[in-house]
Amino acid sequence: MIVEVVLKSLVVGALGGAAIAAGAARMFYAPKLQGMGAFRTIGEMNACNGDPISHLSFGAGFYITSAAAVVGTGALTQDVLHRVLPNWTAAIVSLFTKDKTKRPFENIFLMMVVGAFVGAFVFVTLNTVSSLVPIQLSTIAKSILTPAANNMITIVMPLIFLWAAIDDGKITGSWAFALGGIMQMISGNALPGIIFGILIGSNAQEKGHKAKSTVILIAVVIALILAIAYFRGFHTKLITQFFGGAN
Amino acid sequence: MKKLEQYLSHDYAFVILLAVAAAAVVGATSMYFTNGVGMTNEIFVAELFDIGKNTGDYSGAAAFSAGFLIARVLEGPLVGVLDIGGSLMTGVGVGIPALLIASGFTSLIESFPLALLTGGVIGFGLGVIIIAIRKIAPNAAPANATAIMIGAGNKTGEALGPLVLFSAVAYSIPAGIGAIAGALLFYKFKKPIVGGAILGAMAFAGILLLLGVGVGV
Repeated sequence: MIVEVVLKSLVVGALGGAAIAAGAARMFYAPKLQGMGAFRTIGEMNACNGDPISHLSFGAGFYITSAAAVVGTGALTQDVLHRVLPNWTAAIVSLFTKDKTKRPFENIFLMMVVGAFVGAFVFVTLNTVSSLVPIQLSTIAKSILTPAANNMITIVMPLIFLWAAIDDGKITGSWAFALGGIMQMISGNALPGIIFGILIGSNAQEKGHKAKSTVILIAVVIALILAIAYFRGFHTKLITQFFGGAN
Repeated sequence: MKKLEQYLSHDYAFVILLAVAAAAVVGATSMYFTNGVGMTNEIFVAELFDIGKNTGDYSGAAAFSAGFLIARVLEGPLVGVLDIGGSLMTGVGVGIPALLIASGFTSLIESFPLALLTGGVIGFGLGVIIIAIRKIAPNAAPANATAIMIGAGNKTGEALGPLVLFSAVAYSIPAGIGAIAGALLFYKFKKPIVGGAILGAMAFAGILLLLGVGVGV
């Protein structure tokens, strides 16, 4: 059983580690290149900025909380691929890159190679020896990092993106305000809406509201927001709050 | 080295990377299905999957995950960053397996090699769709929008250090003192203060814990 878990973890970790670390490196060339990861991962990796100790300790905090989660539940949490893997890979890559023209984690190839090893290590250790982490230590890490990360994604990031949109001009600002507010209502986080607003607004500012690309963008974004609202059951909430409904 | 870097910067490289990543995530779900460990998702999502496993009704897990998958796959090519939390870990890692098992294709998830293959094929398909959306709407993201988002993204990075510091101070006095000391030290040596704040808080609260003096909270 344990051999089976180790072998599967090696495969999953190496494959996932390589691909996602490379995808994370590509994020820093977006939107010219299509990257994969998350906006918060960009923010967090920018915060550590290629300093190995910072990347290592940021990843370690979440490694410990993931170890705590996997004990008893078997769920590694999303932080393993969102945070531990990209940051630990970046820490190792930054130790042996001499290239000063770009930050260490912007080397797609190096991130991919190192990511395979980091991924294999992280998955094998978390899936087998997670019980070795003292439960109190993981509670401390979780209690400190989770609120900080939540404040980052729910308050600070929407705020800074909205300020940036407002600074860009009235049209971008208005779109970001409106869509940000609507997304906050629907999903509890304004950031995706503000980003939609920046996309539509700056496009409208450059090419006008009647330009084909603006119209397509608006249509896609509206369809997207309607789909998200439907899947989250927002329509029932809306009807209840306006017309009372069954209550 | 430069050449390999160039290969990995192509659009088709993204399709391959997404296929490999999806294979890994579905493989992890397969491991969770048979060995009870390794799901790359939050505890509550794993529980949603368990409800399906225990009752045979996977509709909850499938509906929850499909919404994320569709939204993220449409959003990804527009903003240039595919959110792997919603698309890969939840959509492909939980939603697709839930759909497959509910439709009777249990062996595709139960068998580890088949799960890797299934994930790879699905990831490849999603990668093609995402790149196709980018090709159809090539000017979807104007240069100005990119500049705004990169500027704002860089600024948010600076906020995390102070946030961790406040959070540590709110958690307990020892953790707070450690975080302040660590942050000051890192600030003095021009290192990102987020690293110092975490290390300091963990070290201080951890030492108290290991020595058995004080409760740390």
